[in-house]
Amino acid sequence: MQTEVSGSQRTARVAAIKGFGVGALVVGLIALMAMAALRETASTKAPIAIPSTEVQHERVAITPDEETYARELWPIHAQVKQDAVKMTFAGLAYKMGDIKREAVKQRVAPLTAIFESAVAAMEKIKPPASMLALHGEYLEAIQLYRDASVEMIKVAADGRDVHLVEAQKKSSRASDLTLKVGEMLWPGEFKPN
Amino acid sequence: MNNSLKTAMIAAGLAASALVAPVAQAADVCSVWLVENSRFMGVPFGAFMPDRAFVPGSTNKSNNINTVDLPVNVGVIKCGNELMLYDAGWNQTDYHKMTGTDHWSPLSKQIAQLGFDAKDVKKIIVGHGHWDHAGSLDEFPNAVLYIQKEELRGIEWALNYPHPRISAVNDSPGGCARTPACGYPSKTMDSVYGKVLKGKAVIVDGEAEVIPGVKIHPAFRAHTAGSQLLEVPTAIGKLVFGSDAYSSWEAIRDWNIANPQQTDTVQQFLAYEQCYKITGGYQNCVCAHEPLSYTDGYPLTKNSWVGMNGGRLAEITLAPGEKSRKK
Repeated sequence: MQTEVSGSQRTARVAAIKGFGVGALVVGLIALMAMAALRETASTKAPIAIPSTEVQHERVAITPDEETYARELWPIHAQVKQDAVKMTFAGLAYKMGDIKREAVKQRVAPLTAIFESAVAAMEKIKPPASMLALHGEYLEAIQLYRDASVEMIKVAADGRDVHLVEAQKKSSRASDLTLKVGEMLWPGEFKPN
Repeated sequence: MNNSLKTAMIAAGLAASALVAPVAQAADVCSVWLVENSRFMGVPFGAFMPDRAFVPGSTNKSNNINTVDLPVNVGVIKCGNELMLYDAGWNQTDYHKMTGTDHWSPLSKQIAQLGFDAKDVKKIIVGHGHWDHAGSLDEFPNAVLYIQKEELRGIEWALNYPHPRISAVNDSPGGCARTPACGYPSKTMDSVYGKVLKGKAVIVDGEAEVIPGVKIHPAFRAHTAGSQLLEVPTAIGKLVFGSDAYSSWEAIRDWNIANPQQTDTVQQFLAYEQCYKITGGYQNCVCAHEPLSYTDGYPLTKNSWVGMNGGRLAEITLAPGEKSRKK
């Protein structure tokens, strides 16, 4: 069945349809937004459960002053850590018979100078109050490395292993300290190998 | 002892006589357990095994796993009265928390779960010198360390390279991941050196026989410069421990590379081949980081249980007369 519609009625109907369409579109959009919001809310309200034993990879953000301190310490850390392992390998090479005792001095004496420079550089750095303890530990570590190197060189003169043993005790303590400081300032240095 | 073996003795006196001569203790077969020293959580599979890289939406079982948890496995080997370890795990302290690790416990306490005392461990053969495999040496004061000279040589070469891109160690600023000196921080190397100074180290040059029947095989560059395997006779046939040369058992089965660090992939495949030749297949290859460890998916390790801090253990095989230590 067909129904005749006048011009004004047609215009009114078209307007009504348009109005309905726009309304439906708006309602649809609101519904979509509501659904999205619900989903978002649901996902934030139901995080994946993490077992309490699992390690949380979160750390407290450091302040700008602390960041400046870490940046100043960085080049010292770079030099010291590398040379600490070199010092260990000088001892290993000697004990394995690859080098003579005089060569221990040749290898380690330059490292003493580097450790002394590092101590001097550390003393010029002004740590923020929050890093004073850490600064003290790092300074102690470098001093231990320096003292270890001085002790180690003595083997060149008398060939007595006791110098190496004493030096190793100091460097072992120093490596503990530098690891601790390093992990606080530059975390993530250790990756699965 | 094999004629081709050149063992460099480290300590004076005591070490020389005690370490050069073959140890009298012989065993037809040994008992073997595996201990999970820790677990690296959520490692991207592709970072561990490139052929297993995750492809979003893939239904291919080789590429549909995003991350894996990697155990750090340590072998506990008892041959007669001789107690030894293959690898030594690592030592977690507060500053090691950022490694993405879970289930860590001190290795000495972990082997105590098997009824073993740390002071009774007489030998530690490290598959290589990385920090997570040679990191608990100090917990075993009476153990003699076996490490390849080639390993130390490789580290020293890298350390002395004139640019930090090559010479970086883990605790260099920015750390490192796979570069040549990576994995050998000062603390670990200091522990190795400590063993040397105490006369508790054998620097091995190639093949060696630790005790009759228990043999070291070099696997140079299969993971690091001086990687070494350990052949162990057991009641279920010979086992070959591979440390990170055998990072993944699935990789050995499927002939994929795994955990490439300072690795020549051809040498890694040759190390796999060594296991096939010695054991007659891949079932008895003992892997350091196989994600399927302690499950039916890695049958050798399926006889397992959960121990302290969630770390797992497996009883792999018992020598005749040896009682089960499974709890």
